[in-house]
Amino acid sequence: MVQQVVEWLDERIDLGGLKHFIAEKGVPVHAQEIWYYLGGLTLFLFAVQVCTGILLLLYYRPAATEAYESVQFIVTRVPFGWLIRNVHSWSANLLIAVAFAHFFSVFLLKSYRKPRELTWVSGMLLLFLMLGFGFSGYLLPWNELSFFATKVGTGIAGSVPIVGHFLLRLLRGGDDVTGATLSRFFGLHVAVLPALATALVVAHLLLVQRQGMSVPLRVERRLQPGERVKQMPFFPNYILRDVLAWYVALGVLAALAAFYPWELGKKADAFAAVPPGIRPEWYFVAMFHTLKLIPSHVLGFEGERLGVIGFGLAAAFLLSVPFLDRRSNDGQNSPLYTVLAVAGLLYLVAFTIVGYIAK
Amino acid sequence: MQLTPFADVPAGPGRAPFNRRTFLDALLTVGFVTTAAAIAYPVARFLVPPEAGEAATNSVIAGKSAALRPNSGLIFPFGSKPAIVIRTAEGDLRAFNAVCTHLDCTVQFKADTSQIWCACHNGLYDLAGNVVSGPPPRGLESFTVNLRGEPGAEDIVVSRGA
Amino acid sequence: MKSRTVLIAATAAAMLSSRLAHGGQTAAPAAPNACVTCHSGLPDTRLARPAAAFAQQDVHRDRGFTCIDCHGGDASASEKLRAHDASRGFKGKPTGQAVVATCARCHSDASFMRRFAPRQRIDQATEYATSVHGKQLALGDGRVATCASCHGAHGIRLVNDAKSPVFPTNVATTCASCHANPAHMAGYTVANKPLPTNQLAQYQQSVHFAALTKGNDLSAPTCNDCHGNHGAAPPGAGSVVNVCGTCHAVFAQKFATSVHSQIFDRGCVECHSNHAVLKPSDDMLGTDARSLCGTCHSGADDKGANTATQMRGDIERLKAGLEQSGARLAGLKNAGMEMSAQDLAMGTARTRLTLARAEMHTFDAARVAPVVAEGLTALADVDAAEDRAAAELRFRRGGLAASLVAILLVVVALAVKIRRLERRG
Repeated sequence: MVQQVVEWLDERIDLGGLKHFIAEKGVPVHAQEIWYYLGGLTLFLFAVQVCTGILLLLYYRPAATEAYESVQFIVTRVPFGWLIRNVHSWSANLLIAVAFAHFFSVFLLKSYRKPRELTWVSGMLLLFLMLGFGFSGYLLPWNELSFFATKVGTGIAGSVPIVGHFLLRLLRGGDDVTGATLSRFFGLHVAVLPALATALVVAHLLLVQRQGMSVPLRVERRLQPGERVKQMPFFPNYILRDVLAWYVALGVLAALAAFYPWELGKKADAFAAVPPGIRPEWYFVAMFHTLKLIPSHVLGFEGERLGVIGFGLAAAFLLSVPFLDRRSNDGQNSPLYTVLAVAGLLYLVAFTIVGYIAK
Repeated sequence: MQLTPFADVPAGPGRAPFNRRTFLDALLTVGFVTTAAAIAYPVARFLVPPEAGEAATNSVIAGKSAALRPNSGLIFPFGSKPAIVIRTAEGDLRAFNAVCTHLDCTVQFKADTSQIWCACHNGLYDLAGNVVSGPPPRGLESFTVNLRGEPGAEDIVVSRGA
Repeated sequence: MKSRTVLIAATAAAMLSSRLAHGGQTAAPAAPNACVTCHSGLPDTRLARPAAAFAQQDVHRDRGFTCIDCHGGDASASEKLRAHDASRGFKGKPTGQAVVATCARCHSDASFMRRFAPRQRIDQATEYATSVHGKQLALGDGRVATCASCHGAHGIRLVNDAKSPVFPTNVATTCASCHANPAHMAGYTVANKPLPTNQLAQYQQSVHFAALTKGNDLSAPTCNDCHGNHGAAPPGAGSVVNVCGTCHAVFAQKFATSVHSQIFDRGCVECHSNHAVLKPSDDMLGTDARSLCGTCHSGADDKGANTATQMRGDIERLKAGLEQSGARLAGLKNAGMEMSAQDLAMGTARTRLTLARAEMHTFDAARVAPVVAEGLTALADVDAAEDRAAAELRFRRGGLAASLVAILLVVVALAVKIRRLERRG
């Protein structure tokens, strides 16, 4: 039946080029090929977010007086609302975890080297967008934890030099976290960020399809001149494997949603005291704890401001890695960047753990 | 390389009666269809609007107007808290939060004195929700009452807030 | 003549400026008041202060009364002899009975008071005469309180003025200015025992004080609510229940039906104290070390001890049930189950607990038991609903397990298929 549909379309829009592309497309086979699946997995989880997000959008109300109640309604009254909501919450966390894994694997394998600089930049921006999705989405249930986490998070934005206060007001929709903040974050979460993300995902995928998968330097070097890396057909071999990974992820999500449901929490109250031990979601804990550890004043500058500047510089650095790493570009080993990648990973893991253990 | 999946059975004579490959394909198809259904069914149920219609935080139907006689009251649930709707002797409808402001007991309508009374410690409220006597420190929060529906069979709709 | 004109002008100016300074009070009279002018300038503060206070803020001054209305004399005279002339009615500073007489001259005159405050009572003086203060005064005791001791004399404020010494939140301190002073109270006895001076300290520990000062509940009792205002005297032992019962009617009613109403000398005070009325706890009931019942009741064959144990047991059972069901309810709500009807039922059960604690004052276990039983029935319904919710939760997990089987099937089949494909290719 699929054949008939394909033929029908071919008669009208000439799928010849596409068919040829799919038939010829291959994926390199080597020891490190397992990392290839992380990108597709990230895409799958993002698709899950979009679908469950759209479903939630049918019942959610982005007003301070109604947000919490609408989530409660979804979870308690809408059939399978508990499932959709829990899948959305868990998939968000899994998405960010897998996105980070994808990022680190690319970083360590130096896949960002020429000609894939733009793929790296678009991917880096997508990672930042995912964090933005996480931050904006976290406020939407309008419970105590999310309210105060947003307060703290946007407060840190105020530490950006020069534009800090403006940025804080821009994010919060005012001086404090209020219903205005909720409206703004909602707009960001369902319109602005999805639009940007769609554009970047399309660009990222087009680049990957055009350029094919990057092969690790080590494997490349072992090739004889003129020899090509062993390939497996993209369709059906690689696709089937990708689908396998997606199904595993689906199973994990379903299990998490049923056995570890996301709690509703207490409705946010602007006048309540900050609950002790408030911290942001796990993917921000490392940054948050770093800022906490910086002394309040360093060399005459405000500690938090220095921390924020530091993170800004780190982000700028990461975006420019393909342009800075000359050795990888030339096909040589680049131990400095390997060390940097490992150090970055260790820092994030260690500080996340410490951020949870420390009082 | 094959382009089309699930059709890679080698042609030719002597095909075995039971083909492991088609069995596998059949299994795979069954699996895909089942999981697709397991996703589609909850989504379909999710899309159909539930009975409650919308989050009932601010508006609740207390009962039928015809069922509430003059000089009587009715306790009904408003969300997770009790509320009381009263028809005065003159026929006005009033509604209040039925949680006594003293120690959270549920109040009731006292027909002989036409007051709202809390049995726990004898708190008394008038029909405007104000404290008349007893320990309650504050009056009862009042709700808006509206009638909605076919004349003669109206529902009493009690709502709170703007 | 000239000095008099000057005096009139000066007085008028003084009064005008004082009226402007205190803006918008009821019209001050145009009549000259040499008393204030002279007394405000005197070096002796005992003479200067009253005049200054009266000129600054006084409820009588606002209604057109002046010094001579209480003290007599001639307000237009500028020299002392003429101003203080007894033939012009000068009475000087009234003390003792004279104070009461001075105030009562107007405040006990119904037709007079009708012109100023028609709703105000006019029996204060008669009431006062029945009070301990009044009786002692009649015996010649000059140390007791009179009208001026509580209301002040010169800067009098309305009772509903928050700064008045007899505003509800201030009454206890006003009474305590004598009653908490051991030197002042030395020599007074009641039932051959010296009068205590710790009432204020005790009262400040009480829930009544907390309700009044922190809870903004002006209906909470202070000294005058139990002891009377002008007829101030401790309630007689037989009437404690009636006094407490004015507000705590339910408890008084139930207590009146109990055996203790015949036995307790001091009614409610036996268990709840008179001034240090603390927040009661369930610990007071029972026969263990912390209980109050144990003071008189003990032993297996003591009917009272058995009643106490039974009532406490019932109440504790309801409390335990509430906690258990409540905790389970919270857990189910967190897991996403809809439990608002159960919240309602929990409210009903909690009401029963409050009612049981009230019913306990009948000191009859057979009266407490049915109230507790109603609460437990409500809880049983809650538990049943919780069981259903837990079952639904298990059903969901079962549904999930089923879908996981399907997913696993696909995963395994895919893996085999891939292996097949590669082996051939």
